[in-house]
Amino acid sequence: MNRPLEVVIVGGGTAGWMTAAGLVGVLKPDQCRVRLIESDEIGAVGVGEATLPQMRDFNDLIGIVESDMMRKTNATFKLGIEFRHWGFEGSSYVHPFGVHGKAMGGVAFHHQWTRARLNGVPSDIEDYSYAIIASRRNRFDFPVKDPAAINSTYNYAYHFDAGLYAKYLRGWCETRGLRRTEGKVRNVTLNPVSGDVASIAMESGETITGDLFIDCSGFRGLIIGQAMDVGFEDWTRWLPCDRALAVPTTRSDDFTPYTRSTAREAGWQWRIPLQHRTGNGYVYSSAFISDDEAAATLMANLDGEPLADPKPIRFRSGRRTASWTGNCIAIGLASGFLEPLESTSIYLTQVAIMNLLKLFPRPKIDPALAVEFNRIVDNEYDRVRDFLILHYHANTRTDSDLWRHCREMEIPDTLREKMALFEHRGHIAQYKDGLFSPPSWLSVFLGQGITPAGYHPMADNLPLDVVTSEMAAMRERVSSRVDAMPAHDAFVRDYCAGAQPLRAAGAVA
Amino acid sequence: MSRKVTKVVVVGRDAAAWLSALALQRAFGRTGVEVRVVELPSLLGPSDVYAAVPSLGALHGLLGLAEHEVLEATSGVPVLGQRFADWSRDLPSYIHGYDTQLVAIDDIEFVHFWVKARAEGLKVALDDFSLAAAAAKHGRSVIERDGRSTEMPVAPGYHLDARTYVALVRQRALRAGTKSVGSGTVVVRREGDRILSVTLDDGQSIEGDLFIDASGVEALLIGGASGAAFQAWRDDFPADRILVASAPALKPLPGFSQITAFAAGWTGLYPLKDRTAVVAVYDSGAMSDQQVLDGLPQITGFPLRGEATVAPLAPGMRPAWVGNCVAIGDAAVVLEPLDAVQLHLIHMGLTQLIALFPVDAEAMPEAEVCNVGFAAHVRNVRDFQISHYRLNRRPGEPFWDRARTTPAPDSLQTRFNMFSARGKVVLFDDESFQDQNWTALFIGHGLIPRSYDPMVDAVPAEQQMGRFRGLLGKIAEEVRAMPQVEAEFGVSAAPAFRP
Repeated sequence: MNRPLEVVIVGGGTAGWMTAAGLVGVLKPDQCRVRLIESDEIGAVGVGEATLPQMRDFNDLIGIVESDMMRKTNATFKLGIEFRHWGFEGSSYVHPFGVHGKAMGGVAFHHQWTRARLNGVPSDIEDYSYAIIASRRNRFDFPVKDPAAINSTYNYAYHFDAGLYAKYLRGWCETRGLRRTEGKVRNVTLNPVSGDVASIAMESGETITGDLFIDCSGFRGLIIGQAMDVGFEDWTRWLPCDRALAVPTTRSDDFTPYTRSTAREAGWQWRIPLQHRTGNGYVYSSAFISDDEAAATLMANLDGEPLADPKPIRFRSGRRTASWTGNCIAIGLASGFLEPLESTSIYLTQVAIMNLLKLFPRPKIDPALAVEFNRIVDNEYDRVRDFLILHYHANTRTDSDLWRHCREMEIPDTLREKMALFEHRGHIAQYKDGLFSPPSWLSVFLGQGITPAGYHPMADNLPLDVVTSEMAAMRERVSSRVDAMPAHDAFVRDYCAGAQPLRAAGAVA
Repeated sequence: MSRKVTKVVVVGRDAAAWLSALALQRAFGRTGVEVRVVELPSLLGPSDVYAAVPSLGALHGLLGLAEHEVLEATSGVPVLGQRFADWSRDLPSYIHGYDTQLVAIDDIEFVHFWVKARAEGLKVALDDFSLAAAAAKHGRSVIERDGRSTEMPVAPGYHLDARTYVALVRQRALRAGTKSVGSGTVVVRREGDRILSVTLDDGQSIEGDLFIDASGVEALLIGGASGAAFQAWRDDFPADRILVASAPALKPLPGFSQITAFAAGWTGLYPLKDRTAVVAVYDSGAMSDQQVLDGLPQITGFPLRGEATVAPLAPGMRPAWVGNCVAIGDAAVVLEPLDAVQLHLIHMGLTQLIALFPVDAEAMPEAEVCNVGFAAHVRNVRDFQISHYRLNRRPGEPFWDRARTTPAPDSLQTRFNMFSARGKVVLFDDESFQDQNWTALFIGHGLIPRSYDPMVDAVPAEQQMGRFRGLLGKIAEEVRAMPQVEAEFGVSAAPAFRP
């Protein structure tokens, strides 16, 4: 029998506590002992956060009860993201957690939709998406399982207070024996031969050793960056935003089951509704606007009373060249940063944790495990990156330098080819690993104003009138079923009102 | 302004030509696309065989070909796996079974439980936990002669007599509306990277919007295009000859193909209803054609019958789509017939072409992405084939020593490293073979992981043994319930009932 691996997590934000919960919840005490170091003095980034549906898999894995978690994190439901003024001023589209229509005649729906449009029967693609119509009408309900039902064609995620979620996980971990050490790190000592982390010296004077160190220290990358000096691939040339200002406001009457992203002169503004307030922020490029102007823009565009002064955040888009190096694994912002435009931050953390669990080293660290971990994480980051660049690049805005710059910049070849083929014939390739499947690409391509000139030739196998009448029936099915859904605010109120969790929280293992 | 593709000209022979014609006719015929075949003389002989992995069933579905029709017309036999023998001096043979699902317990791949149990003394081979391998070993089939099949997580692969298979597909294509004309060869007229027309032996010139090169290794159309050079993989594949022959039918019919390594390469035995097709792939530098021919009865254990034919074999590939010409089959990619992928490569090409069938006869930007996707598929299949060679355990024989020590392509080395470290199969985009296939291959050739998924340890040892026994018992029961290949497809089997 091998002794358990001693794991030291440095940093207790969302990434730190999610990693801790994953390790404690899934592995056995004789496989690993987890210790988490955090300092109450160092604030986590902890702004209101929007998530993706994959997060529910994580919560299920460790046995979190949804209603309990939602109540304690002030969570609301999320069916997608509305993008305002992105492709062009005055535009609005929703990237939904769900599909648009259904395949007809052996081709994806949007080919028939394009065909109808080119034959003089245009319609709004949004009317075929259940998640979008529910969003537009501020409705929410859980999807059903029956794949034949129109209200099975979507998925959902949450908006929540990430600080409260981390706190929630902390309580969950501590009742399962996790050891938390309060205090600040003074110094990281590396093994002069191997370059691995040997120990961490705390300001309290304690020296902490371990087998595996997880760097969840955020942007600064206390171990991976400052101590080990692992490289960082900078993506500012494609994603020029480098700052944000965050401010909470009083709860708005417009209680949306979706995140809103509004393009502004030098970036974009987020709006995330929570149960008790609304999270807002302006993500901008310091090359195109001053901090004061950005703050003024943000404060002038709020739909509630501000509850604090805007809090500044600085960042740089990109990722570590090797998130797992030696006996250190960077997870969360220490491993890379992509602006929250598509709510990918917690997802990328989750991908790292799930892979760490699969590749958890035993009895010693096999370098092949790190190679595989980095391959998967890099692939995820790179594919999200391309998707984000699409939002910036495909625009026809004429009002500011940022948008002009983004439109004219060189983009990665992978993205350029993808855009060209969509424009030519509505083709969207499916990749095996990595976030964002064809329905996501479709909504953003169309929403940003890229319209396919052609469609898949097999679409013509069905008579046009059969297609258009089926399309009309689809619109009707979506619309009438959405009207039968409860309002989002009423649903959240009822669902989170119960005093007790519906079932006891507990790990699966 | 864009102009619709309406004239497709297929120039070629045998399976590549007729599968292309039928697939395109069925996908686009009703939308006003006219498919014409310029049929070149067949290269198939009476001994030729198509051995196919289960994905062929999906192609047949697309083509409107019913399983039992195909099997009946081609003296075909459905099989549930391939048995690899003598690839190692110290390991027993194994069966790569055609399971459609990964066996898993609590969402953890079964192989991780097996690796742990093996380290603790388990003696049962991994393929004993494969329903397909067990059924194959016992001569069972998942389909019956009338095409009925039982709901099981396995899918049949196929042994089909090549000439009768082509005749069947040809007949269906013609019946579906494809026009055909024969010619010994063609002369290609080009303008830039576009083909304007092909001229036949009789002087007739045929114009088209899109040309399919299904002419085989000759690559009559695509071979003359610029930027379509053939990239040979001589270093990756140690063999350069292929021999095809026949042996008497086996009775009872087995449920698998038998792939046996010998000093200069490998031989495949593919049982058909009325004969057994024999294929040998070898290095002519290690053994002459005559030596192989003379040695085959001893290697395979069967006397040969009728004529044997020998042809050169040079694996490699080229960009499949250049200008308005798309190569399908050997004109685009040549791999060994190992792992029964010959028809699969045609299928892959057609899948890509149908998904990206050009919308504009004047400009085809689809070519680039199609080529990238197709090449990715081919590289992944190539990795699968090369694995057999790299992982051989026949030390002391020059052919096999070379095969074992040649460096693997980076992508394959990544797979080896990761599987050895943690029993995890690395899958890239555009894979033909899935988790369960790679796992069977690697474990079968003796690549045993050093560690396993830590979540396996959550299951107590006695509970795990109970699950193993339960799995083996369930497999034995399911195998017993499956019909016998011999009873359904043997010479003496009653003809299929037809209402």
